[in-house]
Amino acid sequence: MILAQLDPRLNFFGKAPYSLELWGYVTAVVVLGIALIVAMTKLPTRARKPLIWTSTFLAGGFYVLYWLWPQPVGRGPLDLPRNSVEAMSFWMSDAQVKVADVANILTAFLLCLGIYSLLRVHTNRILRKHEDRFFSWVLIASMFGMLVLGYIDWRQRTFLDKDGKLLEMANWGFAQFGKDLLFDGLFQQMDAAMFSMIAFFILSAAYRAFRIRSVEATVLMISALILIISIMGAVVYGWNNMITSMLPVDSAPVLNNFKISEIANWVRSTLQTPAIRAVEFGVGLGALAMGLRLWLGLEKGGVTV
Amino acid sequence: MQWLDTGKIGIFVTLLMVAFILFNIARARKGKKELFIRRIPGLNAIDDAIGRATEMGRPIFMVPGIGTLNAISVQAVNIFAQVTKTASQFATPIRMCIADAAVYTVAQEVIRDVYQRQGMLERFDVDSVRFISDRQFAFAAGVSGLLHREKAAATFLLGEFYAESLIFAETANSIGAIQVAGSTQTSQTPFFVAACDYVLLGDEFYAASAYLTREPVLVGSLVGQDWCKIMITAAVFLGALFHGVERSQVAAFEWAPYAEANEAAFSALSDDAKEKVADVQVQVPSSAERQGIQALKKGNETMLYRIFNPNPSAEDLVIEREKKPPPPAAEGEEGGE
Repeated sequence: MILAQLDPRLNFFGKAPYSLELWGYVTAVVVLGIALIVAMTKLPTRARKPLIWTSTFLAGGFYVLYWLWPQPVGRGPLDLPRNSVEAMSFWMSDAQVKVADVANILTAFLLCLGIYSLLRVHTNRILRKHEDRFFSWVLIASMFGMLVLGYIDWRQRTFLDKDGKLLEMANWGFAQFGKDLLFDGLFQQMDAAMFSMIAFFILSAAYRAFRIRSVEATVLMISALILIISIMGAVVYGWNNMITSMLPVDSAPVLNNFKISEIANWVRSTLQTPAIRAVEFGVGLGALAMGLRLWLGLEKGGVTV
Repeated sequence: MQWLDTGKIGIFVTLLMVAFILFNIARARKGKKELFIRRIPGLNAIDDAIGRATEMGRPIFMVPGIGTLNAISVQAVNIFAQVTKTASQFATPIRMCIADAAVYTVAQEVIRDVYQRQGMLERFDVDSVRFISDRQFAFAAGVSGLLHREKAAATFLLGEFYAESLIFAETANSIGAIQVAGSTQTSQTPFFVAACDYVLLGDEFYAASAYLTREPVLVGSLVGQDWCKIMITAAVFLGALFHGVERSQVAAFEWAPYAEANEAAFSALSDDAKEKVADVQVQVPSSAERQGIQALKKGNETMLYRIFNPNPSAEDLVIEREKKPPPPAAEGEEGGE
């Protein structure tokens, strides 16, 4: 954090973009990162525990302090702090970005482990001549196809296409058409198909939920029915007009409360919202307690084994 | 006007809750008195589900949702560690499908450690914990396919779920798997209630590890959370009471500007329109009458509203500070041409 806030000319991030020197640094850091991960996996569990706890405590401690310390108000890019409290708050808000970067870099390394897991499972399937090995071939081919075409497309758009010609489809090459086919033509369509299947699943789940077997199921069905009806325009129009026609001209309109839109609003604001807030309070408290136990290393077993 | 720095209230309340939790953890550690946890049917069903999978010789599926590595996924992995502990004793196969690379790495280590602690490392299958995809519906498709192909006997869907929740629940239901589910997303809980056999509601999800292990630290933390809930309930009750009492008080209200604007708008109407408006509108008092009318306090005129809704002026947000000298211009920027 402190190093990252040094003069940009002195630190890693001050190197000229796309220069050989920067690529050299990036490669060295990637190799070091991989070596660090390998070294960590070789450590025995007993040795890993204090290391994990220390890094968790330091990272958690930083964010606790960041949250507790007064935040700078109306800070401009060239502002100097007025006192030591502001100096600390300036430093913390600058450092927070770097800490978040560390988390992002770690995530990138971990993604490689995820891809390794995926490749291991599917390569084994192919080698063992599993009956569904065709799908493993498809997965591996799609993964590498997307990777290669995506990289070529990115490289061409970033470095070679200074005039933005590739924004026009007429100027596209193999990489652009290939990426478009794989991403927009196949992946997005399949994504949408999976999403649309939810409609059918909702129908079958709703059918089972609405079979009246208990008092709770009956309450669920009635409230669901009210809410469903309240968003059906024609029914709402008819129902509300019927209520309006029943209203006496010169008296307090109590009957207004029986309009379907009013009943549905009452269900939402008086029953549903407080229930959701109560659940959210519980969930928030659970997360707070969980975070506290992890931060202070109080938990035994599970993640903190 | 803001009467209190409300940022400090939030910090104070949070620190108070932290104190409650830590105090109860310390109390539980002393172990003088066993702390009570109510029965949670969803968690009692875990052993039944594992037993069923063992009898049928089919795998147990565990999905910690699609969230990143956070408190929710860590808690889900903790619960799955307990499930795996029991499953490992009966050599019941497990499958854990994961959508986030960081969660995958943590989960694999945890599950390996569970087998190691049980002295059955040879039963641990490296591929039992799998990274499927970090894309929501690619993950949903992958897990559904696995559920169908491997004919899971029990599924545990615990963690952060979104639209894919029902795809998992209905797929597992279609193959007759016994399902224990729980999500911290209130929007997905109804889907689980409709489609699964047992559901952990809200913070029951966080109570699971305390319930299953009876570890003093976890049980103490759970009791601390209950203390916090009592405090929040009391605050909501007292807040509603004070707010209600204040709303019943009469506020000094200036009608004149409102009345003048209303009269100006009314006088701009045509004669026909004026008649129509007069027919349907409630009779509005005249300006002279309005001056004497007093209204009840509105929701945003109470003390509680003002405490929790600061309204800082522009002056509060502008602070004069010394400036540092601007960085020197890069070579080539000067001189232009």
